[in-house]
Amino acid sequence: MNEQIREEIKRIEESALRLQALAKENPALVRNAEIILSFVYILKFITPKG
Amino acid sequence: MKYWNPYLETLPKEALTRIELSYFRDMLSYAKTHSRLYQDKLKDTSPEEIRTLEDLKKLPLTDKEEMRTYQEMNPFPYGGLLGTDLEKVTTFRQTSGTTGKPIYVPETYESWQWRIEAWCHILYMAGFRPHHRVFLPFVYNVYVAFWEGHYAAEKLGCELIPGGGLDTKGRIHKILEVKANAMMNTPTYGLHIAEEAKSIGINPSSLGIERMLCAGEPMPEATRRRLEELFGCHVFDHIGGTEPCAWAGMCEAKDGMHIIEPFFLVEILDRENLQREVEEGEIGVAVITPLGRRSFPLIRFNTKDLVIKGESSCPCGRTSQKIKEVVGRMDDLRKVRGVLFSPKTVEEVIRKDFPQIEEFEIIVERRGIMDVITLRAEPHPELTVSSIEKTKHELQERLKIATNLTFNVIMEPPGSLPRYMLKAKRFKDLREEKP
Repeated sequence: MNEQIREEIKRIEESALRLQALAKENPALVRNAEIILSFVYILKFITPKG
Repeated sequence: MKYWNPYLETLPKEALTRIELSYFRDMLSYAKTHSRLYQDKLKDTSPEEIRTLEDLKKLPLTDKEEMRTYQEMNPFPYGGLLGTDLEKVTTFRQTSGTTGKPIYVPETYESWQWRIEAWCHILYMAGFRPHHRVFLPFVYNVYVAFWEGHYAAEKLGCELIPGGGLDTKGRIHKILEVKANAMMNTPTYGLHIAEEAKSIGINPSSLGIERMLCAGEPMPEATRRRLEELFGCHVFDHIGGTEPCAWAGMCEAKDGMHIIEPFFLVEILDRENLQREVEEGEIGVAVITPLGRRSFPLIRFNTKDLVIKGESSCPCGRTSQKIKEVVGRMDDLRKVRGVLFSPKTVEEVIRKDFPQIEEFEIIVERRGIMDVITLRAEPHPELTVSSIEKTKHELQERLKIATNLTFNVIMEPPGSLPRYMLKAKRFKDLREEKP
């Protein structure tokens, strides 16, 4: 698995966390960012280092 | 594309094992800090002790009875089985409760999507693709059945037709109306749809179904082939459960099932002591650890599913461990007159050699000191009296050879035995004590 893919997943995670922090007064944005983080969890799970 | 996840599905076995052990340690750490059950059960265990597959045996198995005890704790309704904050739970599921009080299973958005991802492997292996219009002939409810299939097919990009609120004839007409070309169902219900279609003058093979994924009950190879013949389609099997999730599925080779690695760490242990990993070709009990579902941690869950361990290689190129066959549930195995009996053997014989039998039921009862085993068989309505009599004798002979038991065979009138939508209940043990 290309290390670049893992790096990209990490960037999505950091971006979703930043979004949550920026929009903490907006439940829709917070929840959608949380859902992105659920998928980040799965993306990490399915791209382990061999 | 042949694989859903080409990277995971072709990893060398050693890499898969290494990843699974690493995930196992992570899940063990998580369970010890988030699940009351494992805080108590594994308090003296350190995840770092688990370095090899052999080390797993240092940990106790988890069984349903202790889960029921911990479920009684707070918070309601999941108690000490919950692995997350209650407010993060987004879906309630439960087991059917056939062996006792149901287990309530919490899913968070994350854990549910994790289950769905594992299920995508099963559907993709069975050849489901975005061009498939998938008919689901069931009402979904508190049980997990078909919810996973629905969401996984959607994730794959298929088009879903939820066909719950119709009777069987209505479903047949809907399949034709919308030109559905794939289906998910129990083997029993697949046979029932075929029977109903024929009764209204429709050849099941003209329904246009190309792919069928079966679930919910053990499917003998003869039943799978019969469904393929009836519908003129490819039929695939998979195995799973509410607690451990769906953990293995059949590929295009249609020879056993691939364990969905590294989502699950599956041990197949000898049924006498549940200690030794069985050899290829040997029957064992499947013990499962789902490696990424945090809402409901399960460490070494004893499924009580009996399976035959298969090969580690496959013409399809996937490298995951296979199971050759699902034998049945430990709970379904019975001793009848001292002989170990599995109802699946009877289904295998009937579906393979007696297409003229539409439905059947097996009853074991005790008369005096003797166990009596009866097969109630329902022949096709067009069978003549002499053919029915001939079939009865042939059934007795074939069952004697296959099971080593003498069956009392009763031929019943057409349409007299119950038909089933989900899991069939064709086996009834009426003895008070089940040896």
